[in-house]
Amino acid sequence: MKENSPEIQSILEEYQQRKLSRRQFLKKVGAAGVGATAAAALLASCGSDEPAATTAAPATTAAPATTAAPATTAAPATTAAPETAMGPSRGGTLREGYNRDVSKHDPITTNWYDPAFFAIYEAIVTVSPDGDFVPQYCTDFSVSGDGLEYRFTVEDRQSHSGNAITAADVAEFYRIQKFSFIASLASPISHYEVDGNQVVAKMNNAWVGTLGPLATGYWRIANINTWKDVGGYDDETGLAGESVVASVYGTEVVDATGPFKHTEWVPGSHSYVERWDDYPGSNVPYFENKGTAHLDAIRWTVITEAGQRATQLENGDIDTLLNPAHQDLARLQENPDLTVYQHAEWSGYFMFMNREHFPELFGDVETRRGLSHAVDREGMAQALLFGNGAATYGPFPTTDRYYDPAVEQHNNYDVAEANRLLDAAGWSMGSDGVRERDGVPLQFEFMVENESLQTAIATAAAAQFSQVGAQADVNVVDRAVWFERAGGPEVPAGLFMWLWPIPIDVLTLFCASYTVPSPNWSHANEPRIDQAIADWQSAGTEEAAAKAQSDFQLAWAETLPNMSFINQNSTFVKNNRVHGWSPHVWLLYPYYNDTWIEA
Amino acid sequence: MTASTPESYLSEWDRRLLEFEESRHISVFRRGMRNLVRNRLLLSGVILGLLVVGAGVLGPVIAGGDYELINFSNIHAAPFSEDALLGTDHLGRDTATRLFVAIRVSLAVAVGVTGLALVAGLAIGTVAGFRGGWTDRSLSGVMDFIWGFPLILVAVLFAGGLGEGLLSVILAVGLVNMAAIARVVRGEVLSLSEREFIEAARAGGLSNWRIIRKHLLPNILAPALVLASYYVAVAIIAEAALSFIGLGAQPPLPSLGQMVAEGRNFLQLNHWETTVPGLALVAMVLSVSLIGDGLRDVFDPRLRHEAKGLES
Repeated sequence: MKENSPEIQSILEEYQQRKLSRRQFLKKVGAAGVGATAAAALLASCGSDEPAATTAAPATTAAPATTAAPATTAAPATTAAPETAMGPSRGGTLREGYNRDVSKHDPITTNWYDPAFFAIYEAIVTVSPDGDFVPQYCTDFSVSGDGLEYRFTVEDRQSHSGNAITAADVAEFYRIQKFSFIASLASPISHYEVDGNQVVAKMNNAWVGTLGPLATGYWRIANINTWKDVGGYDDETGLAGESVVASVYGTEVVDATGPFKHTEWVPGSHSYVERWDDYPGSNVPYFENKGTAHLDAIRWTVITEAGQRATQLENGDIDTLLNPAHQDLARLQENPDLTVYQHAEWSGYFMFMNREHFPELFGDVETRRGLSHAVDREGMAQALLFGNGAATYGPFPTTDRYYDPAVEQHNNYDVAEANRLLDAAGWSMGSDGVRERDGVPLQFEFMVENESLQTAIATAAAAQFSQVGAQADVNVVDRAVWFERAGGPEVPAGLFMWLWPIPIDVLTLFCASYTVPSPNWSHANEPRIDQAIADWQSAGTEEAAAKAQSDFQLAWAETLPNMSFINQNSTFVKNNRVHGWSPHVWLLYPYYNDTWIEA
Repeated sequence: MTASTPESYLSEWDRRLLEFEESRHISVFRRGMRNLVRNRLLLSGVILGLLVVGAGVLGPVIAGGDYELINFSNIHAAPFSEDALLGTDHLGRDTATRLFVAIRVSLAVAVGVTGLALVAGLAIGTVAGFRGGWTDRSLSGVMDFIWGFPLILVAVLFAGGLGEGLLSVILAVGLVNMAAIARVVRGEVLSLSEREFIEAARAGGLSNWRIIRKHLLPNILAPALVLASYYVAVAIIAEAALSFIGLGAQPPLPSLGQMVAEGRNFLQLNHWETTVPGLALVAMVLSVSLIGDGLRDVFDPRLRHEAKGLES
């Protein structure tokens, strides 16, 4: 690293001595003329007692230099006990606690992908702990010089059912995947072709983000022949046909190539997979175990009660845990029998504001900004996340390498400014403490999922809105009801948590004009945002990608298609009897190929 | 009583007989007051109930705070900490202020629900028991059908149709309690209908309405009120339980069940967030139960006499 200026060096030292928060650090170096990317790199170079820092390692020789794996300041920070010197032992069932309900195991039609996808399925490529794209299903991959063609070499494989999967089947899987609601994330990919034993992704334009979506759960490869057999797919109806909607794929039948086979899926309770003994071995270079899995089985237990997760781990009811409640973290870290992994999470909580059906409430930006200034995000992060996260003034988590601190100029907690903006927007305070404009009270339903942290965030936001004369009536509903109602004519506002390894990709879904009404539940139609999305999806260089993402963040922060609140860190905990279970910052969930349990 | 009083010459049997004779000539109110003073459990229940009602009615006025007001710099405070008599919750909201409002919500729901259930249950049970025949069969069938549903299921059905909130709770609890009261009232009416004074009234040509109003209702009102007191307790618990699982009061409006639910995630950090509303719930239910038992003593002469050893 080249030597920094004395001013920067001084700021760095203050940060390392914990005199500055990450946000203050970014502000200061920003004021000193350091750009967002460089600031993130500086931050990454001085992790000290913040989560240990890494910068993105060079891409593998096979991989193109891409932005798809976001570099971060937060590589796994663990309170780890040293791994034992004994070798892996075979057998046993890993009992993992999961903080959400289980989603159906179908990459094409699911609304959410779970840890089980990382055991059952393989993606064409995945991301290493260093942030590089590496082969998983494919044995090799390359990109053409003009960036318009990605080639993935795949061998003929057998799936769990014993049926064959060829390169043509993989291409067909991807073709049908383009019908899914999530497909727009990879819209620069025009189509897929087959060339011998290679699957060829043909691009509309060169795009640095190509491999990102392909490494996620929604693009994990199923045996498309089985998928069609069970679902009765036809090209005319896409995924909307009754046969696909009624398909038992992902619930009763799953056919893929990962090291574990789907066995049981019980919503609200658990999902269960068993080792596939015919697994041919993995192509992932950083996996130590190249053969069949060590574990006999894995069971994910749904534990949506925040307070129960840590207790179940401490009691020995489960072996590993995804996302304990923030308030239990300190206790878990002190437990010598446990190892806690903490790192940045590519997620965030935001409030959508339905402008289409409630233009009298959210149609003007002054009102949206007025409400936004009423929210103390720093206080929320401290109180609700116990410091295990950060305030977000724009769409991105502050730890993303493309995070632009300039968003922090907007949406700061400032009650006087909030009142000024609402006054300017024509909202006058009513006698009951609720503002009115043209006879319409500034009062709205605020829909939130029945989950303790989300309810707390919504309640906190509503309480803060009330301080400036806006009444948000929190309505707690089940997850399914939330998705059914969001974006509809009856719901003016709702809280949502997004989770995705590449923020820019998924965030486009919630604000692009072409995703109205779902998942652009706000019905936002902002030309600046659409332009930034188009710029991102046509970014052929790192510089263009950085600029597009910066534009996107600023447009979001200024026009507020949605109102961002906070972003939590990701936390994984394991009993020290479990080995080879190593979540890392680039993936939402750990792999299980190397995992084994001490006898 | 001392040895110099005339009563000392009476046998224990005579003394109790005298009390019984006296009791026949005093008003229900006076008898109630006397029982209130003599029955320590009833007295405890009344005192506890007055405290709870006082907290619910006057607490929010005295505390004066905003139950919705958050304070991120003072979260999870224990009772008797600075500026927070009963501590604060995970959003820094004052537990005392919220508790008083929650008690008021619980009381309003419980009394309101039971009042409605009592009126409807009395009407349906009386008509069914008195008219008999197909009226009885159809009304009893409906009541049995409703009674057969678990309260939670009824609440879920209402929540599904009307949305989560207190209205769903009121309707669900009210409906189930109404069925319970109607069934008991019907049984009482059936029994009373066979009694001589009802037969005499019929023979005297009194209208059905007059018989019901003048002869049946006065006789079933007492057991119905005793039953209602029990169902006030049931309604308090049901409202708390439904709010605990998210079907009842919606945030930020506090209810005891919701406060317990929110606090349970922080048990190891600050158990008071659960303990305080839990204790309030216990106090409310206990007071209503004690009062219910006391009312039963007042209104049920058989029990009163059993207690005095006249009948055994």
